Amino acid sequence: MKEKVKEIVQAIKKLTPKKRKIKIMNVCGSHEHTITYYGLRSLMPENLELVPGPGCPVCVCSESDVINAIELSKRPDTILVTYGDMLRVPTRIGSIRSNGGNYRMVTAPHEVIKIAEENQNKLVVFFSIGFETTTAPTAAMIEAGIPENVKILTSQKLTPEIMEVLMNDSKVGVDAFIAPGHVSAIVGSNAWRIFPEKYGIPTVVAGFEPQNLLLAILRILYQIAEGRAEIENVYRGVVKPEGNRKAQGLMYKYFYKTAVNWRGIGYIPNSGLEIRPEYSEIDAKVFFELPEIEEEKVPGCICDRIVLGKAYPNECKLFSVACTPRNPKGPCMVSVEGACNIWYRFGRNER
Amino acid sequence: MCVGVPMKIVEIDYPMAVAEAKGVRRTISLMLLPENEVRVGDYVMVHVGNAIEKIDREAADEIWKALDEVLEVLDREEED
Ligand code: SF4
Repeated sequence: MKEKVKEIVQAIKKLTPKKRKIKIMNVCGSHEHTITYYGLRSLMPENLELVPGPGCPVCVCSESDVINAIELSKRPDTILVTYGDMLRVPTRIGSIRSNGGNYRMVTAPHEVIKIAEENQNKLVVFFSIGFETTTAPTAAMIEAGIPENVKILTSQKLTPEIMEVLMNDSKVGVDAFIAPGHVSAIVGSNAWRIFPEKYGIPTVVAGFEPQNLLLAILRILYQIAEGRAEIENVYRGVVKPEGNRKAQGLMYKYFYKTAVNWRGIGYIPNSGLEIRPEYSEIDAKVFFELPEIEEEKVPGCICDRIVLGKAYPNECKLFSVACTPRNPKGPCMVSVEGACNIWYRFGRNER
Repeated sequence: MCVGVPMKIVEIDYPMAVAEAKGVRRTISLMLLPENEVRVGDYVMVHVGNAIEKIDREAADEIWKALDEVLEVLDREEED
């Protein structure tokens, strides 16, 4: 395996243009984890930049959604249920955990059902956050049938759509994408077609081990060298061109595409999913008449720019000084998928 | 949250199933796959307790090997 890695790295060095910079963006916390943990940046030639993009769902949950979740957890008649990473996300009123309300952590949506059955005198609100890989499981949970006392607070985002926003932002300047393997398993590798076809951006679907990621980088460089822009898939055995049709069907049975609020960034048209009006009886936003709260930015935090690939974590003045995983100031330091958190833990090799 | 784990199906009561990875058993949902697509003994990629895709054994083994190290680190972090 080591030999193979060496070979790939050498080929990468050979193929990277000498006269221009190439910026390859990953849009997946697990990719950034592999890149940083294995120090892949330090293996790259000078002209090749690996930049993390919007791969952390926890980081882009709007402050409004988190504050609403906190307020719900403090009502005497509710239990707020969500994924562990969400519990410590900071807002102007603290985090779900620091507010000490009624909250539970789950690792799968179907665990919400059990909590609801055990607490029939309470309303159980599932704070469903994430990209396609968590949205489809939430849809599956609804499809399987949920008790009447379950409500869903959505903060669901779409990956291809946010990537397209980056394409239209001249300050980002991405030359190629490494597409996330598991999101691709749901949406299909064809979902990225727009990037090569409309924007001329090579896009390669990759898995999560270092050799596979390096291979994706190499494939991108071949495309650039040969003046091609195509979809390629090096995460074989998991991702199909058309994706998981049943999962897509369930997602759009219960949710519809609409403008949603990204933390630090604002509303982006068609970039997320909300519960269809036909199912509004399970929609916590409707049921509790939740307000949309205007965001207050965390002073000094540049998480929004990091998420869009415009800055690296160590460009933030608070990084590892005032902001650490134990005492996170911004959302990118909380989640194990957040670039700041990953760089803090393993970022010895960044440049 | 987005870490996917390959698991082997040991019991099915559709849409739920029991799956196993490295000796750890977990109840998962098969709702995202068509009912007759997976059988006991098959491997699936599991995300937040849901099988999102059927995979072959080779792919599962490969991914497990790579994941071992990563998961160890994440577990340690979460206990913190
Ligand atoms: S280090 Fe903390 S404050 Fe700075 S951008 Fe990251 S999360 Fe925000």
